[in-house]
Amino acid sequence: MSLDSPNTASEELASESGPKLGRASAAFALSAAVTILFNTALACVKDAYAPLTEFMNRLAGHNWTTQGLADVVLFFGLGLVLSKTNLAGRISPDRLILFLAVAVVVGGAGLFIWFALF
Amino acid sequence: MNITASDAILLAHSTFGVLGTLSAVWVFVETLNAGERNAGRLRRAASVTALAMVAALILGGYWYLHFYPADKATILKGPWPWAHTVFMETKEHLFFITLILSFYFPIAARDKLRANAMARKMVLCVAMLIALSGLAIEGAGAIINHGAKVALLHANAEAAGGSR
Repeated sequence: MSLDSPNTASEELASESGPKLGRASAAFALSAAVTILFNTALACVKDAYAPLTEFMNRLAGHNWTTQGLADVVLFFGLGLVLSKTNLAGRISPDRLILFLAVAVVVGGAGLFIWFALF
Repeated sequence: MNITASDAILLAHSTFGVLGTLSAVWVFVETLNAGERNAGRLRRAASVTALAMVAALILGGYWYLHFYPADKATILKGPWPWAHTVFMETKEHLFFITLILSFYFPIAARDKLRANAMARKMVLCVAMLIALSGLAIEGAGAIINHGAKVALLHANAEAAGGSR
């Protein structure tokens, strides 16, 4: 191997179709987008369904703590699982970036709209 | 000067939130100028963002669980109850979005940004999302704080009116 040959995760995944994200970066980007949408959905569902809030209160002492732990476990768990597969790597980087940005905007705006209206 | 544990924790929480937001902006600028020389600094700055947000989470979480219930009761009795029902409820869940982005930040910054335009684009996007959501959270904090203030002012005015 020559000294100037690329040897990074991101460049290993570079293909004729253009540069790609590293395997871990792509996997955890997809995981982050899914976790962000899950976070907003869980916040709305627990706000609307009291038994779920009570269940989450019992799990970690407070529903907010349980939600935070669930988010962190989902993000790292899903990210590690996706890192073992090439599922996220098959999605184009542009689409992954767009999906993550849309997830943040929809997740953030969704929270505000939910709590403002309901 | 009387600074309680509640005050110190709350101020430290918002300080770490601002530091995390600023370090995301720092990474944004480093990424625009990504090269061999700043690669290590850029990755360290992304890790600083994650660590600052974790510190903000721990401090804010502790304050929220132990001290906020009294403030919440005050806000709900005041003229700005929506400072809690809308802004605090949104803020406490929006923070998890910023936190997840901050956890992802050092992972995205591990790619060789100098050589990979898509990796640069991802880091720029995440940095922008952390900075914007961080600013939104800081703004929500200010509204919640003002909700408590107007509630106390309102209660004081009523007490003064009643005592005349």
